[in-house]
Amino acid sequence: MPPAIHPVDLIEILRQHRLTPAIVFLTSRRACDEAIDTFAHSSARVSHQRSETIRTFLEKFAKDFPSIEHHPLIPVVQEYGVAAHHAGHLPSWKIAIEELMRQGLLDAVFATTTLAAGVDFPARTVVITQSSVRKSQDFTDLTISEIQQLAGRGGRRGKDLVGVVVITPSPYIDLHILGKGLTGYPEPIDSQFVVSYPMVLNLLKAHNLDQIEGLLAKSFAQFQLNQRSAIHQDHLDTIQEQLQPYGPRECADWVNQWKVFDLARRRKSHRQPLVNNDTPFLTACLPFLTPGRLIGLPKGPAIVLRQYRSRGTFAPMLSVVRAKGTIGECPAHSVTQIYDRVFEFQPSRTLPWCPPHVLHQLKKELSQLPARLPTVPILTETQEADDPLLAEVLTEEFPCPTCPSHSACKKDFPLASKLRLKSQQLTKTIQALRDGLWHRFQQKAEVLHKFGYLTAGSQLTVDGEWGRLIRINHSLLITELIRMDAFSGIAPGLLAGVMASISHDDDRPGSYMRLPSGLASVLTQVRAVADSLSPYEPPPLLRSDVAALAERWIGNPQLTWASLVRSTSMAEGDVYRLLARTLEFLSQLYGLKVTHPGLADIAHSAMVAMRREVLQELP
Amino acid sequence: MNHDDLKLELLNLPVKYLHQMARGRIHRHFRLGKQRLVELILAFPPDQRLAIEAELQQIQKTRQERLALQEARSAALPKISSPPLRSKVLSPKGKPNFGPPQPSVNLQQILEGIGVPEPMPFVPDPWQTEAVEYLAHSDVIVSAPTGSGKTYVAIQAIKQAMALNQTVIYTSPLKALSNTKFMEFTQLFGSDQVGILTGDRRDNAQAPLLVMTTEILRNLLYDAASGEIDLRLHTLGLVILDESQYLADPERGVVWEETIILCPAQARLLLLSASIGNPQDLAEWLQAIRPIPCHLVRHAKRSVPLRGLYLHPTGQLVPLFRNQDIHQGKGYHFHPETKRLFAEYEIKPFI
Ligand SMILES: Nc1ncnc2c1ncn2[C@@H]1O[C@H](COP(=O)(O)OP(=O)(O)OP(=O)(O)O)[C@@H](O)[C@H]1O
Ligand SMILES: [Mg+2]
Repeated sequence: MPPAIHPVDLIEILRQHRLTPAIVFLTSRRACDEAIDTFAHSSARVSHQRSETIRTFLEKFAKDFPSIEHHPLIPVVQEYGVAAHHAGHLPSWKIAIEELMRQGLLDAVFATTTLAAGVDFPARTVVITQSSVRKSQDFTDLTISEIQQLAGRGGRRGKDLVGVVVITPSPYIDLHILGKGLTGYPEPIDSQFVVSYPMVLNLLKAHNLDQIEGLLAKSFAQFQLNQRSAIHQDHLDTIQEQLQPYGPRECADWVNQWKVFDLARRRKSHRQPLVNNDTPFLTACLPFLTPGRLIGLPKGPAIVLRQYRSRGTFAPMLSVVRAKGTIGECPAHSVTQIYDRVFEFQPSRTLPWCPPHVLHQLKKELSQLPARLPTVPILTETQEADDPLLAEVLTEEFPCPTCPSHSACKKDFPLASKLRLKSQQLTKTIQALRDGLWHRFQQKAEVLHKFGYLTAGSQLTVDGEWGRLIRINHSLLITELIRMDAFSGIAPGLLAGVMASISHDDDRPGSYMRLPSGLASVLTQVRAVADSLSPYEPPPLLRSDVAALAERWIGNPQLTWASLVRSTSMAEGDVYRLLARTLEFLSQLYGLKVTHPGLADIAHSAMVAMRREVLQELP
Repeated sequence: MNHDDLKLELLNLPVKYLHQMARGRIHRHFRLGKQRLVELILAFPPDQRLAIEAELQQIQKTRQERLALQEARSAALPKISSPPLRSKVLSPKGKPNFGPPQPSVNLQQILEGIGVPEPMPFVPDPWQTEAVEYLAHSDVIVSAPTGSGKTYVAIQAIKQAMALNQTVIYTSPLKALSNTKFMEFTQLFGSDQVGILTGDRRDNAQAPLLVMTTEILRNLLYDAASGEIDLRLHTLGLVILDESQYLADPERGVVWEETIILCPAQARLLLLSASIGNPQDLAEWLQAIRPIPCHLVRHAKRSVPLRGLYLHPTGQLVPLFRNQDIHQGKGYHFHPETKRLFAEYEIKPFI
């Protein structure tokens, strides 16, 4: 792993200073494996006696877990007392390494950071070489909690007086992130509640709608939403207070009246036709897209500077400042997220739409956003026309020009209308926060009704009754496939192949396998269904290579684990996880034995065929 | 800037900056090595070339400023005499030249106190006893750092509940962790007392102590709610959710909420969590939705003190912070030697 320190040197230094056993966290699985490779033929051996103890242990362990008997890393572990531990290994191997570590027989384990939240085996020393981790597509900085989970492995109760965290630089390091992480307080946690189809079906099976509303209100999500709405409520109260002096005048609703009057005057002069083509969703968003609002655009976060209508199409547009400090224009419908955060400032009427120092401040705020931000839930309503007054009043004479409070209205309007807009916005936010979960539940229930899992009265239909037993990701796809009889009479191997490709959501490259023709045609069908469902459920990756792999394991009972693994470039641990998850999916199908005995039978034979060698070592 | 100049400049830059430039420009750049990154950056169309050059200049400027600042700071500290920079980091054999310890840092002193403590009889910490005691009449949330002994609380609670002939369910977020705990509990309580449930298998499901992942428990609770009880939920006396900071997991966190909402009223909940920022919120939440009170046990101090060291690729070991032991919430100051060595690391092109 140059240009960082050489792994062998690292371990020798740690040994020399009695800083072993140690866990060395590296960026990738590859880095861990390469680190281990560098030990071969080095002089960093452990004593002969320790080698023997490790050998005896591993031999005994292999009696219970034959899958590790010929593990290629065994010689290095025995001779050098170091090992690699990451998701690419079999669970049995990881258990062996953890046990060796607990018994103090190893000097170091090279691990990826994913270990942090997982299995626990402590050490005297933790070595950190990075300040970010790969998450899905990019590198993300480690959070304080994550860093403390890593560092927390250093120092064993009862075995160490002091734990040590050693930081050694690599190209992926920012010292300050680690400094903050080691000394700061961990971040608060936020609810990640999502309403899923199985949740809706299972709740409706046992409860009526009122009870469910109550159950959702019991979630931590709702607890936190209420906390947030309480803050908004305080804000709203102060604004209401400020609005006090602008009470009723000649007409009760003078602010609205003046607005319409003002609008009508301008319209007349421009002869602009008033057509409103906004979608209901966009209409619901617009009140939130006010100056200072933090939003997400396809290219990243931005802050709204002003909202206006385009001259030609009358489409709502935004001027925004982006993270780089550039000011840009974008149509309001391109907004992907509306966050629950507003940076207050005094808007101005000319570019840059705000005071220059504010622009600088906003740019800074944008560069320091936390990784996750709460969004404002948007409730689309069946929208009444923008201003019901408008159409009516335009044709009539306005009382305003001759009204005694004309001048007062004219003077107060800008401030009063601004305050009122804000108070409306807050009221809407509060309402959305209060009702958001329930709203999402209803949306999901509507989809289920559309597909025939629920009656119009939110009762489970026959399909809903069994559909609720499929409680895994992509449940809608799976139940739809079952309903269209896609699996009737299918070979167990093919069924497993399909389930494998639905369950596998990792895009680490695998290998290109020859697809058995039967599998190819089933997968094509599944893909078509998944695509047609994409508005309601994000489609799975449906990788055909993993399907072929699962099919091969089940289709050929003579195939050994070793030759299965040899036939793909996927890591052994990934193949294991793939098959274990496939088993889980199959057992959900097996659970339908009352309503779908045929399918359950096929699933069962697939499960039986699957459970051999490694796949039956652990529960 | 001509092609070769730019190439040289890019190669002299630590690779993290190359990744920074490549972000959004090169697909899956994090997979690529330095050479390949530089090649791809150089192959950009001319309009992007300009942007890259501008960015490069910006980066160089900030780096220089930072280094100057660091130098100025370490110069201001008279105590530390900076040893001469090593001209070559790795000796020809690829081994570091360890050399004698630097005079500026006393190695002995920073390694002092590291070692094995005298064997001591096991005495539970006050927070551990507190958690176990409160379980008698309330739900309990424990928020304590990694490795501080939350398992002890779980085991004592299990013993208490089993003595009352209650069923206990222990859940963890990961199958691997469930397996480890299953083995640990089997050793402790005997194999007839412990069962394990996974997505496709049930071993000894009649045992009084059941280990499973949280998803499995959630499914059981759904089945119970719809009247298809297939486990002894009426005797369920204690539910332990280990690693409950997973509640904040983007994909799976919802399962913890479902489980807690659906957890039968008569069963006690024991939430074990690593240190989190807002355990108070969790406690207030439980208090609000559960029929019994909830007690929060918050223990922030690590049981074993932690010390930070910085290891330079040349093999030099220096303190990481000015303070020897790491404390929470008091800010941090890197040790001047660490700053100096790290600045050296960042500026040195390793090609
Ligand atoms: N009161 C105590 N005195 C001494 N040692 C203890 C005490 N309590 C627990 N230990 C020891 O501390 C070690 C770590 O405990 P444990 O695994 O329970 O940590 P944990 O809090 O569950 O950490 P994690 O967050 O990793 O799950 C164990 O080896 C245990 O024996
Ligand atoms: Mg634990």
